[in-house]
Amino acid sequence: MQVVVNKLITRYELTGKGKTVLLLHGWGDTLAGFHDLTAALSEKHQVVVLDLPGFGQTQAPAEAWDLLDYAKFVRDFLKKTKIKPSVIVGHSNGGAIALKGLGNGVLTADKLVLLASSGIRGEYKGRVKAARLITKTGKALSRPLPSTMRFRLRRKVYDTIGSDMLVAENLQESFKKIVADDVRPDAAKVKIPALLLYGDKDTATPLSYGKMLADEMPKAILDDISPAGHFVHHDQPEMVLNRIREFLK
Amino acid sequence: MKTVAVIFGGRSTEHDISILTAISSIIKPLELTGEYQVEPVYISKTGEWFWDEKLKDIQLYQSGDIELFMQKAPKVHLLFEGGLVLVKSSQFAGRKMYRKIDVVFPAMHGTHGEDGELMGILEMANVAYVGCGVAASAIAMDKVLAKQVTMSSGIYSTPWIWFYADDLATKHKKILEDIKQLKYPLFVKPAHLGSSIGITRVEEPSQLMNALEVASHYDDKVIVEQGVQNLIEVTLPIIGNNEPKPALLEQPLTKPEDFFDFETKYMRGGKKGKSGGKSGAQGYSKIPADLPHELYKIAEKTALDVYKAVHCEGIARVDLLIDSKTQKVYFNEINPLPGGLYAHNWQQAGMAPVQLVSELIRYAEERFSRAQSKNTAFTTNYLKQF
Repeated sequence: MQVVVNKLITRYELTGKGKTVLLLHGWGDTLAGFHDLTAALSEKHQVVVLDLPGFGQTQAPAEAWDLLDYAKFVRDFLKKTKIKPSVIVGHSNGGAIALKGLGNGVLTADKLVLLASSGIRGEYKGRVKAARLITKTGKALSRPLPSTMRFRLRRKVYDTIGSDMLVAENLQESFKKIVADDVRPDAAKVKIPALLLYGDKDTATPLSYGKMLADEMPKAILDDISPAGHFVHHDQPEMVLNRIREFLK
Repeated sequence: MKTVAVIFGGRSTEHDISILTAISSIIKPLELTGEYQVEPVYISKTGEWFWDEKLKDIQLYQSGDIELFMQKAPKVHLLFEGGLVLVKSSQFAGRKMYRKIDVVFPAMHGTHGEDGELMGILEMANVAYVGCGVAASAIAMDKVLAKQVTMSSGIYSTPWIWFYADDLATKHKKILEDIKQLKYPLFVKPAHLGSSIGITRVEEPSQLMNALEVASHYDDKVIVEQGVQNLIEVTLPIIGNNEPKPALLEQPLTKPEDFFDFETKYMRGGKKGKSGGKSGAQGYSKIPADLPHELYKIAEKTALDVYKAVHCEGIARVDLLIDSKTQKVYFNEINPLPGGLYAHNWQQAGMAPVQLVSELIRYAEERFSRAQSKNTAFTTNYLKQF
């Protein structure tokens, strides 16, 4: 289904009946990434899932957006479709959007589930830290190279550091704003019960990030999912589903 | 060996579908015939034209390397000199490359291509081209015009209304009042877009305004159609000029609530939420449609009547809606460039993809030769009188 929200064509799906669960996908992903989770949760809940602006079949914003802009967009989408979620589930950047929205009163819900949520910034170690330094100086150093070679080199460096900078190239300015925003202060203002699930093999948002967020949130439960990487709900669908079901009881 | 330029891509929401149609369903079979030199001409989403052998490789687009290619490749110029000539820089000593085109095979879906705009350029260039002409393309790609033209030929459509998108803000009461004449479910559609983009099935009045906004966002004209009860949806690919030839009536196997939106058609292999069917556009379908013989014949005749009424040539696909209880057949839409040329259907009708594209080239040449025999300019002394 589609709806026009703030002049942006927005694709969403609404399935099932019961308390409403809103699913927010990560950077570079689409609602299709939640396909199996949507199907399983909609057995006992109403599930709403959308393509966030710039991804899937939702138009990109005309200007660079930060996390709060994305959270406000989700609020306006919910208002337009007259949907009131009881639960918000956010994966990766979708988790950071949820924390930003809930922490600032832009979004409301009774419960929150974070799947490998991003939002912790500046805690880089070892090789990733070194590669990040290269990206800071690399632009000037690589300038003499031909454009094709420069582009490939840039992609290689961003791949190495696990950055999603080039995942959606038209949204690079938004991405820069988002990764400059540490959501720990927002997480501290989220007082609702929260379940945080992180994969033990996740290098993009390691378990230690989950611990940092959980430390800020008064009603947080942190669980590690093993073995699983950044896409915990793909790597261990049953385990993640059972944890969420238990939490929503 | 004749040279065929396949033009694809373009400034359309169906840009990517056009790439698939061009490479898989046109360029490959044309090359397999061994009779044509095929020149791929790609139009970017921002309207730049490129011509290069590399553009035949689907990987170029899938990998995203097309962006790099476009940064480096010379753009194409068109020369209208005794037909159509492609011109580009050879990138060597300031020299240019020229290629005279014998036949153009448009593979454009949607706006700025399938809607007659490209055909206008080709008419001006005086070159043979595959498919419907300027007027038929423009009519077919405007759902409102197509219904008006077919209605004037006595072909039924389900009840419908239309409005200009700009009027939704200022005259929405009148629009909603007009829509009250129709029975739910309704289908709200942008008038000019294909591949089900921007279409919403509306079950109840509370959903209507959002659907009208979505369609108005995409197009300057919006059409609202009444759904058909006891629905059997069928589609018929047709080729030919004066004597159109039908393939087989095809019946998409979806429930009414799973109408073929963009994702169902192109992203999930034809059926929502399921996998394992035939890949590609409308993969899940019954060919031939499961209809009683008499009804099949009525539907086939209706589709052929639509093809003639709109004055289609070369190829088109006509979509029909049938009320299985009353056995009434309604015209729904006509598509002047069926996705993948509906080769799967033609294959079942006994025509292989290689044969299909060869036939289409033959029809293009036949029409071109007929047009050349008509006088469009002659000498007068009119100006000397002033």
